[in-house]
Amino acid sequence: MIEIKNVSKSYVKGVKSVDSLNLEIKDGEIFGFLGPNGAGKTTTIRMITGILEPDGGDILVDGYSIRSNPIEAKKRFGFVPDSPDIFLKLKGIEYLNFLAEIYDIPIDVTQERIEKLTKKFEIYDNLNSTIESYSHGMRQKIIICGALISNPKNWILDEPMTGLDPKSSFDLKEMMREHTKNGNSVFFSTHILDVAERLCDRVGIINKGKLVFVGTFEEMKTKFKEETSLEELFLEITEND
Amino acid sequence: MIKTILLTIVFLKTSLQRMQSRYYENIKKNKKIKRILFFIVFAVLAGVIAFFSSNIINILQQAHQETTFVGVILFLVLMLTIIQAVFSSVNMLYFTKDTEYILPLPLKPYQIIVARTNVIIIVQYIIEIFVGLIPLIVYGFKMNCNSMFYLPVLISLILLPILPTVLISFVVVILMSFSKITKNKNKFQLFATFIVFALTIAFSIFMVKIDEQSISDEQIAQLMTKANGMVEVIKGYFPTLKYCTNAVLSNNILTMMVEFAKAIGITLIAYIAYALLSQKLYFKGLVGSLFSGENKNKKRKNKIKVEIKRKSIGKRYIEKEFKTLLRNPVYLIQCILPAVLFPILCIVLILISFDEIAVNEIMQALSGLNANGLILLTVIGITQFFSMIVYVSITAISRDGKNAVFMKYIPVSLYKQYIYKTIPNIIMNLFTIIIVLAVSEYILKISILDLIIVFIISMLMNIAQSFIMILVDLKRPKLQWNSEYAVVKQNLNLIFPAIFSLLSIGLLILYSKTTQIISVYIVLAMIAVIYLLITIFVNIYLYKRQNELAGKIE
Repeated sequence: MIEIKNVSKSYVKGVKSVDSLNLEIKDGEIFGFLGPNGAGKTTTIRMITGILEPDGGDILVDGYSIRSNPIEAKKRFGFVPDSPDIFLKLKGIEYLNFLAEIYDIPIDVTQERIEKLTKKFEIYDNLNSTIESYSHGMRQKIIICGALISNPKNWILDEPMTGLDPKSSFDLKEMMREHTKNGNSVFFSTHILDVAERLCDRVGIINKGKLVFVGTFEEMKTKFKEETSLEELFLEITEND
Repeated sequence: MIKTILLTIVFLKTSLQRMQSRYYENIKKNKKIKRILFFIVFAVLAGVIAFFSSNIINILQQAHQETTFVGVILFLVLMLTIIQAVFSSVNMLYFTKDTEYILPLPLKPYQIIVARTNVIIIVQYIIEIFVGLIPLIVYGFKMNCNSMFYLPVLISLILLPILPTVLISFVVVILMSFSKITKNKNKFQLFATFIVFALTIAFSIFMVKIDEQSISDEQIAQLMTKANGMVEVIKGYFPTLKYCTNAVLSNNILTMMVEFAKAIGITLIAYIAYALLSQKLYFKGLVGSLFSGENKNKKRKNKIKVEIKRKSIGKRYIEKEFKTLLRNPVYLIQCILPAVLFPILCIVLILISFDEIAVNEIMQALSGLNANGLILLTVIGITQFFSMIVYVSITAISRDGKNAVFMKYIPVSLYKQYIYKTIPNIIMNLFTIIIVLAVSEYILKISILDLIIVFIISMLMNIAQSFIMILVDLKRPKLQWNSEYAVVKQNLNLIFPAIFSLLSIGLLILYSKTTQIISVYIVLAMIAVIYLLITIFVNIYLYKRQNELAGKIE
């Protein structure tokens, strides 16, 4: 479970990129975080993961504050950043072994998870090559495998579908569903509204740093116009704000 | 011509780009403060160099060899130019990330290569300000020289880097034209640098041999004892060095003009020949360099190696740092190789450039220092001199670029990660120290006990330097870059290892004055305590401010 409590962040004095954000991602749910470019999605994700320090408020991951107890909080989530160009000079297997060490995963479990995840994403045969030789999609896959290798309770993914082929995208969505079925949570940002509509239990829409809507798709339809698509609703919410 | 100039400006701007960040607005506001701070840093470095220069001129003046200073400085400028060109030309000419954007533009090969070579030369001019201009201004001031001295100095400093850079770049262009036939371009890049390095040493030996034929041993011995005769021995090393030194030291305008005409003529001919000859070969190598590394999507069906042994996080982290450094040709050439090759190249160049008689003279002078144990301080000073080009710690955060945020979301304390990132710098400095101590032991026959003491002090300075440099990189990270080369070479932070080393050498000089009153071992103990305290203080600071220090990583 991720609890965001009254969190704010400003880059420039007087302009709040995230303004008094309150949000709760419950165990067992897939939460989609939507918003136009520059709305505050990535800033929020960066604050949840400890990359950015909020100006005020706090964020709890399974009850551990990212501000006062960062190591314990970080052990409880796996993060997929928006750019997959990471540690390009390491081989895929070296990258995964490195992460397994950092997250204290036993050797036998590491072996099993690496095989399972990389075979699922069809990059097992490429593990002995350096990440720089991977295509964009393959890099995205190895980063996802790295984030999931510790089998964290909470998944935080920034635009995870970008660059994935249809099969991998489908597999990832299936894995998200399976993960939440076991009482875990998934928090992800996306621009693809169709994915959010079909996959998410709840969505949050952020615009100009403020959370303008949070709830299920059905609740959104009830609150606004009933017979419109998510795309139209999204535009209406973000433009009227 | 206009296109080439414009391209030079664009390449220069992109390579010396300012650190861009989300705080750009705030940076704008603090521009004035940053300028003042930069001026202070510049003034400190300039002051330290001026102090050294003044001391050296005083010593040379006593031996009536003061003009040797001009020769030595111009020689030093040339040497650094050669080293800089060896380590940067492959990267600059072929491995910048903008290549794929430049290639589709309607530009002729010579326009691109000339513009890129201009950037290498212009960056060398920045180094020249410290190594050449400031010491020679101090010399002119102390010797009451008029404009007849300063103008030729300026022309010489403009001319000197061009010929060696052009020659080295041409060798690189020829070598890289074969890059298409190799399977692993990364390894070829490394191989090309080694070849250029070996050829430079071979060329130096060749030039010295030619110079030796024109001047006999007896003449050298006479020149060494003659007032201001040492400069004659040094200048013959390289054609433009000879003409420029003659021009600077000449009191006759006509002689000066003739000497400059020779230097300009050679430089111009070499530059034009380089542009024309490279024209045909450049694109071959450039296209070859684009497809570097392993083949995309290449599947290796060998057994996947999941680590059987568990290592500590620290060991694994340091291993990852080293792998990143060793597998990236730019980082390997700029951060790892100089630590080993620079001391070797310097020692070889000095030994072959100075005749045996000159070396013996220097050795005798140095052995005279042994009485007060000053030789130990000198050796420590030399280790400090070489440590200023070890850029592992000062770029530890910046090298990661946008990926540096990884440090912040993994469950390992930031302080521990700072330590892990500092250790490769300590190890590389250790290599330099071992090389210097081995050569010192061979030439100066220092006792084992003294060698151990020098090793301990050098290591304490090394550790202190490594921690201070990561602190500097944390305070001023350069995370937005489009070429790895920009991080390890065109980064203003690289001035800080030089400041640290020069301040340390200054401290050693100050302490050397006290060795007539107290034992050198007490002096060394005091130095050890100072650097130990610096290390402890910096570590406490890194620990207490670990989160705050990572504020700029986002």
